[in-house]
Amino acid sequence: MKMSKKLFLIFGPVILAAVLLVALFLTPVNVQDISRGTIQRAALSQSPKVFRGMAVKKAAFSKNYVPFFGSSELSRMDSLHPSVLAQKYKRSYRPFLLGAPGTQSLVHYWGMQGIDDKLEGKKAVFIISPQWFVQGGINPDMFNYYYPKPAIVKWLLQAKNNSMDRYAAERLLALSRDRSSIENNATIRIAAGQSLTKFERIYLGLKANALDREDQLFSTITLNNRESAVIKSEKILPATYNFKQLDETAYYLGRTHTTNNSFGVDNTFWNKRLKRSYKKLAGKQANYSYLRSVEFSDFQLVLNQFAKQNMKVLFIIPPVNKRWSEYTGLSMPMLRQFVKKIKYQLNSQGFHNVVDLTKDGGKAYFMQDTIHLGWRGWLAADQYINPFLTKAQPTPKYKINNYFYSKTWQQK
Amino acid sequence: MINLQPYENPMYFVYLVIALLPIMIAMLRGKQLHWYQTIVSFAFLLLAFGGVKWHEGIALIGYIIFEVVLVGAYFHYRQRENQTWIFCSAVILAIIPLVIVKVTPAVYGHPSLIGFLGISYLTFKAVQMVMEIRDGAIKEFDPWLTLQFLLFFPTISSGPIDRYRRFKADYERVPNPQKYLQLLDKAVWYIFLGFLYKFLLAYVFGTLMLPYVSKMALSYGGISWWLVAYMYVYSMDLFFDFAGYSLFAVGISYLMGIETPMNFNRPFSAVNIKEFWNRWHMTLSFWFRDYIYMRLVFFIMKKKLMKNRIAIANVGYLTLFLIMGFWHGLTWYYIVYGLYHALAIILCDVWLRYKKKHKDKFPSNRFTKLLAIFITFNVVCFSFLIFSGFLDKLLFHNIILR
Repeated sequence: MKMSKKLFLIFGPVILAAVLLVALFLTPVNVQDISRGTIQRAALSQSPKVFRGMAVKKAAFSKNYVPFFGSSELSRMDSLHPSVLAQKYKRSYRPFLLGAPGTQSLVHYWGMQGIDDKLEGKKAVFIISPQWFVQGGINPDMFNYYYPKPAIVKWLLQAKNNSMDRYAAERLLALSRDRSSIENNATIRIAAGQSLTKFERIYLGLKANALDREDQLFSTITLNNRESAVIKSEKILPATYNFKQLDETAYYLGRTHTTNNSFGVDNTFWNKRLKRSYKKLAGKQANYSYLRSVEFSDFQLVLNQFAKQNMKVLFIIPPVNKRWSEYTGLSMPMLRQFVKKIKYQLNSQGFHNVVDLTKDGGKAYFMQDTIHLGWRGWLAADQYINPFLTKAQPTPKYKINNYFYSKTWQQK
Repeated sequence: MINLQPYENPMYFVYLVIALLPIMIAMLRGKQLHWYQTIVSFAFLLLAFGGVKWHEGIALIGYIIFEVVLVGAYFHYRQRENQTWIFCSAVILAIIPLVIVKVTPAVYGHPSLIGFLGISYLTFKAVQMVMEIRDGAIKEFDPWLTLQFLLFFPTISSGPIDRYRRFKADYERVPNPQKYLQLLDKAVWYIFLGFLYKFLLAYVFGTLMLPYVSKMALSYGGISWWLVAYMYVYSMDLFFDFAGYSLFAVGISYLMGIETPMNFNRPFSAVNIKEFWNRWHMTLSFWFRDYIYMRLVFFIMKKKLMKNRIAIANVGYLTLFLIMGFWHGLTWYYIVYGLYHALAIILCDVWLRYKKKHKDKFPSNRFTKLLAIFITFNVVCFSFLIFSGFLDKLLFHNIILR
């Protein structure tokens, strides 16, 4: 065989594969339509692929989907969960769940990059977990699990030399495992208040294109389907919205699901997560503090983004299961201090829709487990969510204060 | 400056193949491009050890000068004399930087200033040269070739560990285009298999599954099914990540006409732990076999320190695996990992001897072979669970169950 033929046999397939790949990722073809069904599946999926990507979120927010930012409580999908209530009572909005175990302020901040135009003036619900505000803020492992590469690339291309972008860049450098890429170098420049080089701009532009394509192709496949769970949860609800009846249902569900422990914790959660270890946890949380944390500044990034997009946001601070906190010794005065601090950060900058539920941790079946809203808790939250999202809200006036990016505020 | 870690993403291969193209064309025409190869190597070393890692680069330069001078000095000494204590001192000196790098984090809690990515693998190569100089197997010392050997960039960060004499023969050989075509063919296959291993399978196991099972196992605490899941997921991640990396290193070496030895040979199909070590991280286990185990066994026999051959072999295993454990790092779990493997091999030998004596009693068929593979696989996965350090996190530093 001639050498050229052999070479062709060896490298032909490689070259063909490379050409196809480049064609697939770099041709700027229009976004294919994302179907209503796919959006609904994505809205319920709580999948990292959905958080990272932009295609589905853009499609959803141009329709009647409202971002529900939060964390693990969003996966407590019982019959009173916001997604179930909205669907059952055919409300004008549908929640798009942005949050899963381990998502904190930073993940939400990055999740809003690259979809600015679709968020402009939009309403949103944001559930603030006090548990995020531990000393070091988000766990680097969790951050890298949700690593928002497409958002970072988009953000780099429009980052400016201001407190918000410099702080975001610093946090990214502190948490990201990516230590050597061009993205990382560009982030270092932003953190230092410099602008990108020409080469970085070209590279990131191409990269953004490729990532968009990846997002469009892959982010909506193999999403876990939870629609059937919602439909199942709906069945038990009364046909028309009636608070008293719903509260009874919630009460009934809570009572029947919390039979194997004295903390009012859901049976499954108890068996899986606490039964074996709860004895070790007695009194263990007495020294917990949510008062000094880098998370306060990470949260400021989120507020800054909301203000930039003129969004109208309802903030909800959920309680801690009272029987559980008494058992673990979590300090209630500390929690009250936390609420005071976070409320100051919110109110002083013009965010006035803040619902503080922290006093309700002792109500029966308010919590599904230790720190997550459930049955009657979801229903209580709905008393604020529903009117906020279905009635017109005044245009807010925000006054962003960069002081909240400082160490002084974090440690105050 | 940009920093590019070897094989970290698909783009690295694009840069690499563009840079290696002139070498490949020259080889196909039966010519060598050593000067160009040196420039490319230097450029890629600069990319790996420059930029944010410049301090590692400085450490690497210092280290390389030290080792080359040491090997050269020992070579010149060995031409005249052959005293054991000088030989031992040379080996110890060659290892000292690595020892400092391994001990510093355990004692001071921060990485050593003289450390850099791949110091272990360079040390293995340097020690190997000292030992073969002592044996008289390396007959000439060429500082330039020694540098090429130690700093061969496709394998610098994590092996496979080549042998000096083999490398030298490949490096100096005038390429034969037909033979080189075969190398190219294999190189493409290895690199693409590596893509499957590292960028697909290791991604699924390491990035998608591992954080989840880790979190679940930590929140359950103690021994749980999630811990078992962690054990298997971690083992798969470890294998596909490392085997993928090794395939890249071998494939890229082939493109440069150097037949770097393979590191893995379907390790999970081993029927016993001994065979496993002939299939897993082979260049490392062969290095330990040739330069520690064999030498120790010969030494004991020559000096008649012990008579019982079985006992000698067992002492050899214990020493080998304890050193391997310490080499991984000064933590309890690496050392337990070493002891565990030593014990497993000793027990394996006991069993093999017993089986040999009672040949008629044990059937040997497809089922027993599958059973053997299954047992070996699980023994190995358990050792990786120890190795992962996850037990340490789970039992002693579990932050989720606060």
